[in-house]
Amino acid sequence: MIDQIVFYSLAALTLAAALGVVLHRNTVHSSLFLGLSLAGVAGLYASLGADFLFAAQIMVYVSGIAVLVMFVVMLLGRASDLHLRQVNEYWAVALAVCAVGSVGLLRIASAQSGTLAAGPASPSTHAIGALFLNQYLLPFELVSLLLMAALLGAVFFTHKEARQ
Amino acid sequence: MTLAHYMTVSALLFLIGIFGALTRRNIIGILMSIELMFNAANLNLAAFDRFLHPQGFIGQTTAIFTMTVAAAEIVVGLALLLAIYRNTDTVYAEDFHLLRG
Repeated sequence: MIDQIVFYSLAALTLAAALGVVLHRNTVHSSLFLGLSLAGVAGLYASLGADFLFAAQIMVYVSGIAVLVMFVVMLLGRASDLHLRQVNEYWAVALAVCAVGSVGLLRIASAQSGTLAAGPASPSTHAIGALFLNQYLLPFELVSLLLMAALLGAVFFTHKEARQ
Repeated sequence: MTLAHYMTVSALLFLIGIFGALTRRNIIGILMSIELMFNAANLNLAAFDRFLHPQGFIGQTTAIFTMTVAAAEIVVGLALLLAIYRNTDTVYAEDFHLLRG
C-alpha cells in the first residue's frame, strides 16, 4: 500500500514537472521545473532500491545540471522573451509523433504487466564499485577521458578570442 | 508495483521530452527536453535491473555511464550555445540559418 502511494505521487510529480519544463513560457520557470522533475526521477530510483543511482542523480542532475542550466538561462535571458511565443508552429506534427510513439511504447510496457520484483532490493553501491574496477574498467577510464574532453571543450568554446 | 508501471512512467517522460525537443524555440528548452529523455532511458535501465536482473547491477552501472555522457553533453551544448549567442545574439533555433544559403 505504502509503496503504491510513493510510486504514484512520485510519478505524478515527475510527469507534471516535465510538462512544466516543456510547456512553460518562462525559461527560468521551466529550468526550475527541470530540477523538480529530476528530483522526482531520483525519488523513483529510491523506490526501485537503487541507492547509488539515487545519490548520483541528486548530485549530478539536481545540484549540477539543473543549476548549470539555470545559470545559462539567467545569462542569456531577456525581458522581451516573456512576450514571445516559445513553441514553434509544428506542435501538431510533434503531437502526432508523440501519439504514434505512445501507442508503441505503452504496448511494449503492457506486455510486462505481470512482472513483479523477485525479492527485496539489496544495497548496490559496493557491487557497482566492484563492477567499475573489474569488469567495466575500460569503459570507466574512457568515460573519464570523455569528461576531460568535455571540460576542455567547454573552456575552449566559451573563452573569448583575443583580438588581433 | 510491476515493471509495466515504471515503463509507463518512463515512456511518458520520454514522449514529453520528444515533444519539447520538437517544439521549443529556445535552444535551452531543447537541451532541457533532451535531459528529460536521458532520464527516461535511465529510469528504464534501473527498472529493468530491479525486475529482470536483480543480482548483477549491470543496468545500474550502465545508467551511471549514461548519466556521465549526459552531463558531458549538456556542458558542451551549453558552451556551444554561449559561443553561438555571442556571434548571432539570439537563442532561438530558427534564427540559426547561416548555412542555409
